[in-house]
Amino acid sequence: MARLELSNLHAEVAEGDEQILEGVDLEVQSGEIHALMGPNGSGKSTTAKVIAGHPAYEVTEGEVLLHLEDDEFGEDIEIDEDQRTWNLLDLEPNERAALGIFLGFQYPAEIEGVTMTNFLRTALNAKIEEREELFEDEDDEDEAEEDDEGFENSPMEGPADEGEVGVAEFQGILQEKMEQLEMDEKFAQRYLNAGFSGGEKKQNEVLQAAILEPSVAVLDEIDSGLDIDRLQDVSEGINALRDEQGTGILQITHYQRILDYVEPDHVHVMLDGQIAKSGGPELAEKLEDKGYDWVREDVYGTA
Amino acid sequence: MSTQVHANLTEEQVREISGDLDEPDWLLETRLEALAALEDLEMPDVIRTPGRDWTNLHELDFESLVDPLNAAEDKDQVGPEEAEVLSWADAVQEHEDLLQDHFGSIVDPQENYLTALSTALFSTGTVIYVPEGVDAEDVTVRTEQNSRSLFNYTLVVTEESSSVTILERQSTGEEAEEQYYSGIVEVAAGENSYVQYGSLQNLSEEAYNFTLKRGVADTYATIDWIEGNLGTQLTKTEVSTELRGDSSETQIVGAFYGHNDQHFDLDAKVWHRAEHTTADLVTRGVTDDVARSVYEGVQDVGSDAWDTSSYQRENTLMLSDESEADASPKLIINNHDTEASHSATVGQIDQEDLFYMTSRGVDPRAARNMLVEGFFVPVLAEIDVDELREDLENLIGTRLRERE
Repeated sequence: MARLELSNLHAEVAEGDEQILEGVDLEVQSGEIHALMGPNGSGKSTTAKVIAGHPAYEVTEGEVLLHLEDDEFGEDIEIDEDQRTWNLLDLEPNERAALGIFLGFQYPAEIEGVTMTNFLRTALNAKIEEREELFEDEDDEDEAEEDDEGFENSPMEGPADEGEVGVAEFQGILQEKMEQLEMDEKFAQRYLNAGFSGGEKKQNEVLQAAILEPSVAVLDEIDSGLDIDRLQDVSEGINALRDEQGTGILQITHYQRILDYVEPDHVHVMLDGQIAKSGGPELAEKLEDKGYDWVREDVYGTA
Repeated sequence: MSTQVHANLTEEQVREISGDLDEPDWLLETRLEALAALEDLEMPDVIRTPGRDWTNLHELDFESLVDPLNAAEDKDQVGPEEAEVLSWADAVQEHEDLLQDHFGSIVDPQENYLTALSTALFSTGTVIYVPEGVDAEDVTVRTEQNSRSLFNYTLVVTEESSSVTILERQSTGEEAEEQYYSGIVEVAAGENSYVQYGSLQNLSEEAYNFTLKRGVADTYATIDWIEGNLGTQLTKTEVSTELRGDSSETQIVGAFYGHNDQHFDLDAKVWHRAEHTTADLVTRGVTDDVARSVYEGVQDVGSDAWDTSSYQRENTLMLSDESEADASPKLIINNHDTEASHSATVGQIDQEDLFYMTSRGVDPRAARNMLVEGFFVPVLAEIDVDELREDLENLIGTRLRERE
């Protein structure tokens, strides 16, 4: 089990002093699905980026904590008691990923010349390796240093650094996950998101989450620009993340539509950089009917 | 301009070089004329903007760099039996007629100061002759420079309906504080023949390099160049094709990676001089640290070049704030029946791309390396010679991983 905790989070754009987050409080636990809704400019995407560590934002106040239980990463990784709470704001984006944070991008980057397979295998191995480093005991460290001293293979002799998950093993994992998401095999050898349609990119984000098995996945408008078939595929993928891997989901969306397929346990409405209102699934339906002005009125007593 | 060289260059030296190679009188004369012309010749053109020459060749101290009688190298010249791959000395003995027809016919020995210097002083070279109808794969020419200066000459002649793939490499054996490598390459591609000429320059980073490679393509002939530049302190190169025959084609693919204080001045040029000709110029490169790259690409469409297709793209990625990159893609069109494009970009690694990758767990260094290697993929994909592509990939990868 893991729990992501945002408390009194304030953030601004790093270059400039425009305040975007004005004290966000939010908790997402493994296995839960949260929907984060709100009008444009209310701070939803910024919240997502700050959780993942985007360098364009500066946190001025508050905390982003990740609480882990001792068995979060299985038997191989022992999590000591003093290693169960992490202040994510002290960590680099790749370290946050290693601890189980995943950000699904609203606009995934298109990267020429790097195949999906190569990228994802690299990411998976980097995550495993970084996690080992983060949880390494001091005793183990000496051992690790000794290991590093000599090369088992000469560096000229090819893939000495293939990583924990080898090419063949990874192909198997990838193929299985792609089948689950009904993605065409050919995506594996295509360049990362390059020339993908909007829907294919979003599907690819869910695929990556399925492979990296995050503790908490923040999905930023994963539903925008999807036709109904693709929306269903993507929704199934998100539900599988929760049901099969116990991932906690923070789903950022404008629309009720995806919530018909990915049923949230909790719904939060963001206004002006704060969570203005929280509730159950019925809150989303009410929003669909009444719009955000209703929340504004309800909370501030003014529209 | 005043020239620094001839203070220590003499006719006797040129006579000695030519004599050692047992050259006929006409060759000696060509060399002596080139030597005499040095006084009046200019350095090769470089791009100039007010207050700045983009590459300053005048600052080179040729007097100390050029040591004409002490050339030393380690050379391999290998090819299949069907084609003739000869050292210069052997070619002089066996193929004087061929040399008479082609030597200096494509690159004028007196085109500029550095071509004349090279013509007067070259002491080594390779002549590749591919007879009619012969397909010659895997011609390799490897030159390892072991002296202060080395002047090299290469001639490629392909007869009708023949083909050849040539892979040339330059490296440094015994390093000295400053070295000078000069190479001239002439390619005469006969009717309906195909020449693929790959070159990988990986000289010492103390070295200076001047190279001019130029081909003339006859009717239906194709000349494809691949130009990889990684070594030297300063490189000035031109790779060019004159499309002289109808329906001839050329491709110039370039890749470079400059770091430390390396300076690359790279020209890619094509002259469309017949009907239905096609040219494709693609170069990608990286500059890091305080390295500097200057790229000039010229597509020149002559007035008789009906139905021309001509494309040019150049992209440079700067990995450091202190590196510099300039590009000047030029398109000169004198025949309206032309389809052409030209573009150049200079940029840095996209921070959003980098964040996308690091947020998935890839550490920033590995992410950056993947992005740079990915940046080179479009040019590497154009390289048909597996060995050259793999070598380039490895050299780029190694250089990247050396970074902090």
